[in-house]
Amino acid sequence: MKPWFKPMIVWLIPLAICLPFIPLVLWSLSDRWFYPALGPQTWGLRAWLYVFGSAGAQIIASLLQSILVATITAFTSVIIGTPAGRALGLYDFKGKDFISLLFMLPVIVPPLCVAMGLHLWFIRLSLAETYVGVILVHLTFCLPYSIFVMWGVFSNYNPDYEHQARSLGASSGQIVLKIILPFTMPGLIVAGLFSFLLSWSQYLSTLIIGGGRVTTLPIMLFALMASGDRPVAGAVSIIFVLPALIVLLFSARYLGGRSVVGVR
Amino acid sequence: MGSLKIRNLSLSYNGGAPVIEKFNLDVSDGECMGLLGPSGVGKTTILKALAGLIQPDQGCILIDDVDVTALPPEKRDAVMVFQKPLLFPFMNVAQNIGFGLRMRKINGAHKQSEINNILRLTRLDGFGRHKVHELSGGQQQRVSLARALILRPAILLLDEPLSNLDANLRQEMRELIQEIQTKTNITTIFVTHDQSEALMMSQRVSLILDGRLRQVGRPQDLFYRPVDPDVARFFGGCNFFTGEIKNGQFETPLGLFPVGQDLKKNQPYTATIRPEDIVISPANDKHLRGAILRTNFEGAATRLWVQCNGVQLIVLAAGAQYKAHQNVSLHIPPDKIRLFPKNV
Ligand SMILES: Nc1ncnc2c1ncn2[C@@H]1O[C@H](COP(=O)(O)OP(=O)(O)OP(=O)(O)O)[C@@H](O)[C@H]1O
Ligand SMILES: [Mg+2]
Repeated sequence: MKPWFKPMIVWLIPLAICLPFIPLVLWSLSDRWFYPALGPQTWGLRAWLYVFGSAGAQIIASLLQSILVATITAFTSVIIGTPAGRALGLYDFKGKDFISLLFMLPVIVPPLCVAMGLHLWFIRLSLAETYVGVILVHLTFCLPYSIFVMWGVFSNYNPDYEHQARSLGASSGQIVLKIILPFTMPGLIVAGLFSFLLSWSQYLSTLIIGGGRVTTLPIMLFALMASGDRPVAGAVSIIFVLPALIVLLFSARYLGGRSVVGVR
Repeated sequence: MGSLKIRNLSLSYNGGAPVIEKFNLDVSDGECMGLLGPSGVGKTTILKALAGLIQPDQGCILIDDVDVTALPPEKRDAVMVFQKPLLFPFMNVAQNIGFGLRMRKINGAHKQSEINNILRLTRLDGFGRHKVHELSGGQQQRVSLARALILRPAILLLDEPLSNLDANLRQEMRELIQEIQTKTNITTIFVTHDQSEALMMSQRVSLILDGRLRQVGRPQDLFYRPVDPDVARFFGGCNFFTGEIKNGQFETPLGLFPVGQDLKKNQPYTATIRPEDIVISPANDKHLRGAILRTNFEGAATRLWVQCNGVQLIVLAAGAQYKAHQNVSLHIPPDKIRLFPKNV
């Protein structure tokens, strides 16, 4: 193997990942770009001026809504997923296989069916077109991931650490804060991150349950794309991807098998 | 202060079959009590119950004559040290040792000086700032011990603290625990499945077999005066032969033995003699004759399997002069024989 081969591969992979973003950047910086030209014929900041100018308030509003919905969804998903994963990881009980299958269902069943089915119920419960409703429907997709990540964490977890801490005088609350939390932190972050990103990219379920009242970024993005203004759609796409990318970079060190497995 | 009374304790997991049944034990203040039993007999389970980590099905636990059965672990003055060191990987050595004090909201200079004292006591000076994964197995075990000692519990529960160590470290740690135990005079329950370790470490030993307490006593009592063949067998007893009492003598295939004990006549008894108590010599006419079946050199002694009047005996002989198929003479000193009524 040539000495330059390995570094080249290492650099090629991120490059390949970045490739699809290049047209987005080009589009957002173009003024006119018609077939069959390879690049934009005229460059311009029109799209960005629009995004930060006349459409700015609207986009910031939906950005905030997206952050709000995704953050609450992620926290709720982790808070519910952790005890569930703990039960599955640490204890054997009747019907465990069946229950784990049930948890998988929202992932297997097409999201459209889930959202449509829930919509009817949510209308009755007057949860349709509310933030709570949207967060709940996002949770149906995020929870399985949280539960499965935490299941993995807890099946490699030694509860004797908690017993030792108890015997040394820790109360139940102290055990949660001082033992369980630090032990499971990498898993919690991964579960939270998955949930955040899943919620962040939800379009269909938000549209159905939110009914146009809850306008998260993807809803906004679709509206802009439908108008056929590609430079603007490109700019908004970048704004859509950036926060997710930042969250991902921020927690990158927690990704990867070793940290999820936890400590035994 | 720290006396312990265990009354009628029965323990099980998740309503299953009881692991320990009707267990009674008294440990006096400052005593080091060895809890001995084969693997899986429920020693850890008993310690967990004493520490309050599992609730007994029945019975009660008294510390200094106060019933603590219903108290949660953190309210009991009994601290358990687990078989594995279980050091918290996200804390350094000093933080691990100070954990219990932190849980009791003891902070500042007092905590620091306590930590330093205990580091010195467990010969860990200078390791306070080390990460726990930088320590050797023996050092980890000592941190785990220090973490409990710093709380000065009334009762210290040690679950096989030496089982993860190699032979040299074991001896070192053994001496350290004994030294600390004498210095601090903490009532200690020392769990082990190793009979020699229990004999060495404890003032008294309690032996558990099949979920029941079989014998409690000084190490010499258990070793030389086992109450039944199972206890004898656990301490390495391997020679068992049967016979009957007739005319004040114990009649066996290996000959007649005068008995001092007050025993019932015409009833079968099982006798045992320790392999090192049988005196072996090259064949002569005076004593019992036997033939060596095979030998096993063990270093300080050689283990010999000897066939003698239809009974197979194991003899420990110093040195290595005996060979297989050799004819030898055996002398069984009557005062070293222990008799148990044979359950028919
Ligand atoms: N959490 C548990 N759930 C169910 N059964 C258990 C549990 N822990 C232990 N047992 C059972 O209880 C019995 C006693 O176990 P325990 O750990 O107390 O044995 P031990 O005497 O400490 O053995 P060792 O010397 O190997 O540590 C065993 O048969 C074991 O299978
Ligand atoms: Mg054990």
